[in-house]
Amino acid sequence: MEKAQFQSRWMPYLLLAPQMVIIAIFFIWPAAEAIRASFFLEDPFFGNSTFVGLQNYTDALSASDYKRTAWFTVVFTVLVSLLSLALGMMLAVSADRVLRGQSTYKTLLMWVYAIAPPVAGLIGVMLFDQHIGPLVDFAAMFGWHLQIGVDYWDTGFAMIVVSTWKQVPYCFIFFLSGLQSIPTSVKEASAIDCQSETRRFWTITFPLLAPTTFFLLILNITYAMFETFGTIDQIVKDQPGNSPVTLVYKVFRDGFRGNDIGGSSAQSVILMIFVLLLTIVQFRLIERRIHYT
Amino acid sequence: MKYTSIALAAAMTFGASQAVAQVEITWWHAMGGQLGETTNEIATRFNASQDDYVITPVYKGGYEDTLTATIAAFRAGEQPNIVQVFDAGAATIIGATGAVIPAADLIQEAGLEFDPEAYISGVRYFYADSDGKMVGMPFNSSTPIMYYNIEALNKAGVEPPKTWEEFEAIAPALVDAGYIPLAQSHSPWIFTENFHSRHNIPFATNNNGFDGSEGTKILVNNDAIKTHFTKVKEWLDKGWYGYYGAGWGDNQAPFENGDVAMWLGSSGSFGGLKNSASFEFDATYLPYWEAITSEPTQTFIGGAALFALSGHSDEENRASAEFFKFLSSTDIQKFWHQETGYVPITEAAYEAAKAEGYYEESPQAEVGIQQLSLASGDNSKGYRMGFYVQIRDVMNREYGRIFAGETDVDSAFAVIEEEGNRLLDRFAQTNN
Amino acid sequence: MAIADTDRLPPATSDKAKTKTKPQKPRSNIRLYDHIVLAIGVFIMMGPLVVAFLTSTHDYVTIHREGMQITWGGNFLETYKNVLYQKGGFTGEVTGLLMTQNSLILGIGFAVGKIVVSMLAAYAIVYFRFPFATLSFWIIFTTLLLPLEVRILPSYEVVQQLGMLNSYSGLIIPLIASATGTFFFRQFFKSIPNEMIEAARIDGAGPVQFFWDILVPLSKTMIAAIFIIMFVVGWNQYLWPTLMTTEEGYFTLVRGIRNIMQQMIGADIPEYNEALAMAVLAMLPPALVIMIFQRMFIKGLVEQEK
Repeated sequence: MEKAQFQSRWMPYLLLAPQMVIIAIFFIWPAAEAIRASFFLEDPFFGNSTFVGLQNYTDALSASDYKRTAWFTVVFTVLVSLLSLALGMMLAVSADRVLRGQSTYKTLLMWVYAIAPPVAGLIGVMLFDQHIGPLVDFAAMFGWHLQIGVDYWDTGFAMIVVSTWKQVPYCFIFFLSGLQSIPTSVKEASAIDCQSETRRFWTITFPLLAPTTFFLLILNITYAMFETFGTIDQIVKDQPGNSPVTLVYKVFRDGFRGNDIGGSSAQSVILMIFVLLLTIVQFRLIERRIHYT
Repeated sequence: MKYTSIALAAAMTFGASQAVAQVEITWWHAMGGQLGETTNEIATRFNASQDDYVITPVYKGGYEDTLTATIAAFRAGEQPNIVQVFDAGAATIIGATGAVIPAADLIQEAGLEFDPEAYISGVRYFYADSDGKMVGMPFNSSTPIMYYNIEALNKAGVEPPKTWEEFEAIAPALVDAGYIPLAQSHSPWIFTENFHSRHNIPFATNNNGFDGSEGTKILVNNDAIKTHFTKVKEWLDKGWYGYYGAGWGDNQAPFENGDVAMWLGSSGSFGGLKNSASFEFDATYLPYWEAITSEPTQTFIGGAALFALSGHSDEENRASAEFFKFLSSTDIQKFWHQETGYVPITEAAYEAAKAEGYYEESPQAEVGIQQLSLASGDNSKGYRMGFYVQIRDVMNREYGRIFAGETDVDSAFAVIEEEGNRLLDRFAQTNN
Repeated sequence: MAIADTDRLPPATSDKAKTKTKPQKPRSNIRLYDHIVLAIGVFIMMGPLVVAFLTSTHDYVTIHREGMQITWGGNFLETYKNVLYQKGGFTGEVTGLLMTQNSLILGIGFAVGKIVVSMLAAYAIVYFRFPFATLSFWIIFTTLLLPLEVRILPSYEVVQQLGMLNSYSGLIIPLIASATGTFFFRQFFKSIPNEMIEAARIDGAGPVQFFWDILVPLSKTMIAAIFIIMFVVGWNQYLWPTLMTTEEGYFTLVRGIRNIMQQMIGADIPEYNEALAMAVLAMLPPALVIMIFQRMFIKGLVEQEK
């Protein structure tokens, strides 16, 4: 449904101005520099650069492990996004329903979000330590000998668990705020019209949460893609070796660690185009089906 | 030439006020934790030692954070006087001609005496140019050595091996005694770079890369190292070798726990081991293959060095020079060595520590220095390769795949050579 | 939040619900299920933090050797006193208090700045018809897709050219250039029933009045949620402050934690106990923010409906 809107010639621009000015100065300007750099090979100190056309792009795409890294990125992103979405929603729905202890649950479940990323990584690393990690001992009780840092998928598993753990509270906060915004009247009415709690969830609550779910999905994807490289770096202990990594981790590694400005810019431009297309598709396909009002 | 004007401006400012004010310089470093405290202590002592200069150290995060911060600052003309750069980043900073004032020049231009012979030979060349002139001032330096669990070796009734042939001879006895005979913590550094230097085998063309990045090719795809890795894989399969991934600590832990009998680590690791290992241990040189050479050579240093950045006034450069001199002084080197476990960079500091009887109480502390002072060869001084962080990543990945049985030694080294050369080629293009 | 197909739920529904009986008594098995889910959730989410706290009371050699601890170590007072009062850094200025203060400035400054800027932008995009609305949205959205690490050198140059190095504004403003806030508010505004704006119009309210009198109060829950999220993001910044500031007076808590934890090859064992203790302390102010703002979650829209 079309949104009712105000008409004003200048007001929208005035409202947008602060955001756009900040973005223009602190994002577009540097980002344009980064995109320009993707066509050059640049000496980091003096910025003297040689134009190399698409060489950075072909080098990135033809690296022997590009395919494997891309594949892991997809698996990682899908699992982390969906798992944190599902767990966050499950907890929020329950937290919204209980009466006794509600605020205690809420505070405790949000608390994890407060933890600094390097600390979350450190705790994850210690829990999953291949020699003394309690979670490794726990898995061993079921005959699963986790070897983080040695076995490819074991390491990937730890990355997915730690990254999800950090994102669940984020989803929880927004789902809960979404649920709390549902007018009491609607909740009451639905309780009468629909006796089965499960059915009520799927026919009433879930559609009401659809806009929240949609934006959390998008944000979870960008989180899993772009913001997890710090966690990954800690789990591989600074040495990716034969462990799975994501494409952005490669960007970070080559650019920030290895000072290959052109190469890492090219990799991130590829990734940016890919994620942008993916997001546009999502907006077109999914957002259309969401009823905002 | 952005920085010329800044240098001029700075020179004028200081020219005007120099009569009264002390010259202030900044030093960005990557030393966290207790190391950071020791680093601060050195700066404090320098400031207390004279009245003309004041140095302010700033902790800038990890090695990479520090280097990137420096690059960003340099491009903006805000660079510090002195910055600490790690071994794998050496080619990046040294390759940027004009960004760094070589330590030797800095000290001589300040009218101070500089004697390269004062530095321990394995330390002298790693951060030097192709003529052997010191560009970086080695700061925290260490070299790979072999630690062994005395109890384990006694139980098996064997002596620590000098060669890998001897290792193969004693490994079964250690297995019988209930130990995994060997582990090591850094395959690129210990089993690759220092493997080449210990056996005096060329690691890259252009004089191991020291002669410039143009046309430098990595020579890692050679029979000696392939034989070595074929053997290591065999050891792994026989239970003679433990591989716990590419992380440093994951490979050190089983030695500390007493599961592994011998561990290749850093010459500076003994301080931590004294705290964490509940058994007696000692250290010895990195073993070599007698089949490859009968005259093993020295190893070279890892760690990081201090670089004086260009774009500052003469007064400030003189202050940096004075600080470098101060840092190389016997007292400070001895202090740093004993406090942190890093090797002293001068012969004099080593002699002073020895005279004090320091190595009688900590014999492991001496092994690294002695190994760095062994006979040198044409190929024992280290390497200079750009985008080396990425090249190490390729090595680590391929070694992991060899040990996991996903690839064979021949194809792994072919991949390392190919991707390494592509990276080197890319780096050369950034440098012209 | 969103009301699917308002047409099918006419305003009368709420009256009907109120006139009829209150919702039926919750069936206990559902409540039990909810408590079990929440308890497991709390266990999984909080467990590692409790373990981290317990571990911080042990000495660092034990932690290095044996890993995480689930018993009380007995070094609590000593370690925490150290972390709080020990003067660190070269200048000796860096105390736990100073780092907390800097982190607070960063967290609050960032959260407030972001909420104001992004709420205005989202208001323009959702409630006004103008030629560049969609384009503006997509420009804002792309900021999510290029992490700071990739554009860090040019970003530094920009900030330096504006003379904002070593300043709080230089720390905070560049971080605001990311889309998350605008995106949240856009989604939220889109889900506010059209009737609201129609009603406002009938009452003769202009865009400013509508924003201030209706939209802001309606957005309370959302603002609370975003404040929590953004405060923590600002509080936990590491890389940008490290790069941007060269004076120890700007050190933040996370930088302090990194400083302690940093493992150097061939060096001593890091003081895990102090790093974890600082991490536990660093969690308290954000936790306080959460406790304060989560109350707004209950108040939020529910009150509005009455």
